[in-house]
Amino acid sequence: MSEFLPVAMKAEVPDPGSLLVEIDEQLIVLIHAAGHYYALDDVCTHDGGPLSEGPLDAEEGSIACPRHGAKFDIKTGAALTMPATKPTRSHEVKVEGEQIFVRLCE
Amino acid sequence: MIATAPPTTGFSQEVFDAFLADRDEPGWLTDRRVAAWKQFNNLGMPSNRDEEWMRTDIRLFHFDRFTPFADIKTPAELPSALLAVGVELAGHSSSLDSLSLSAELSEVWAKRGVLFGSLDALVKAHGDLLRPYIERQLIDPNQDKFSALNAALWSGANLLFVPKGVKVTDPFHSFSVLSSGGVDLGKTLVILEQGAEATLLTETASTDPDAGGMHCGSIELIVEKEARLRYVNLQNWGSGVWHFAHQMGHVGANAGLQWTIGALGSRLAKVNQHVALVGQDSEAQVNGVMFTHGKQHLCYNTHQHHKAPYCRSDLLYKSALQDKSRTVWRGMIKVDEKAQRTDAYQRNDNLMLSTTARADSIPGLEIEADDVRCTHGSTSGRVDDHQLFYAMTRGYTRQEAVRMIVTGFFQQVFDRIPIESVRDALGEAIGRRVRDIEQ
Repeated sequence: MSEFLPVAMKAEVPDPGSLLVEIDEQLIVLIHAAGHYYALDDVCTHDGGPLSEGPLDAEEGSIACPRHGAKFDIKTGAALTMPATKPTRSHEVKVEGEQIFVRLCE
Repeated sequence: MIATAPPTTGFSQEVFDAFLADRDEPGWLTDRRVAAWKQFNNLGMPSNRDEEWMRTDIRLFHFDRFTPFADIKTPAELPSALLAVGVELAGHSSSLDSLSLSAELSEVWAKRGVLFGSLDALVKAHGDLLRPYIERQLIDPNQDKFSALNAALWSGANLLFVPKGVKVTDPFHSFSVLSSGGVDLGKTLVILEQGAEATLLTETASTDPDAGGMHCGSIELIVEKEARLRYVNLQNWGSGVWHFAHQMGHVGANAGLQWTIGALGSRLAKVNQHVALVGQDSEAQVNGVMFTHGKQHLCYNTHQHHKAPYCRSDLLYKSALQDKSRTVWRGMIKVDEKAQRTDAYQRNDNLMLSTTARADSIPGLEIEADDVRCTHGSTSGRVDDHQLFYAMTRGYTRQEAVRMIVTGFFQQVFDRIPIESVRDALGEAIGRRVRDIEQ
């Protein structure tokens, strides 16, 4: 199991908003929505598009790929709409004080 | 053990100034480098919104994590070169992290006017001869940040110049090695004057198969009227290397180019391979073999540009993919309005050896002439279960059967390669990598 790693300060991610971070040679989109933080691979499983550049819908709890509009659940990474059919990876997030930590899933 | 300086400076103005001060090159060449350096600094990183880059994510690549021309110690022994095993050579050269280490040319060919070895040194001694070819600028430095960087800082470069009518029977071999975390800014310039013939084998490797590093290179092949060039390029960098390259061949009237690439190494490769048929009745055959594993990402953009009538081009790229690796091939046949009676073909076959690998295959045609034959094809598929079953009923293990099928898949390319050492090297390197197929 990998460790929780500090990735950003709370002030860097507005609510609603997202931030692209590099963790252990991987690109992760850190999402802040409705008071909660989430972390997903910054990869649309349909065409490899960057989710961090797509629109975030905090009410619906989804983030969309800017290329073809595929939506993903920000909590689980599940593919919600076509053309994506496979989930993108979701990672554990915790907040201690002002610091946000992410633990990459295996 | 190689000592590598910590990455502190990246590609700064200080690094460039120190590089120029150390070169002692002709003024016209320095001017070209300065202009390209300016362009490197003006251009932004390629955007993933561009069609050319949208399938190749380089956001994890950072120039400032690499130090060009770091003070490295030459290892006692370089990795083994694969292509020249058992081959009588007309010349051999080697470089480490863009520094020329050695260059040898057979006296027989030196007396005939052949030049081979370090372009860095030869451009000083033969500047007047080489200048028009360098100024032909086959690769536009303004194309992107990587082409500009190579044009500004190329070093440890290879030159093969064969004068008019000289037919070199033995191949030349050139070996570029990268240390762990090192930077290679190599360039290969081949010039075959009218009626000349030659074979050049180039290959790359890292001192450690798992090493990281960065290669930003260029290849320019000038094949003049009635000349014939066979060129082989085996990319076998360590599994952590970023590989960026612009490659261009110009083929004159009645001339021929056979260009074979083998792409096995690197973490991510983004290569533009461009062949221009500029003289009437010229021909080019382009062969590509890719074998990927782990999380490798190899992207090849190929371009067959017919600029003159009665030319023939034939491209065949074959890829086998394991694990979570990915290949992207974008091929284009471009036929100019005056290139009537063109005969062009491009084909890409992908053999998927795992359910998590991915191959993007995007052939394209852009034809402005109205009397041509241009065709293309693309296939992607898994190993046929019936073939596996049949081989296993004949007593082969599953892995042996897979290895046979993969070898057979590539045989079509191997059959087009007339150089035995190249066929053997590619076959052996691929055979070593084949593992069992995932269910």
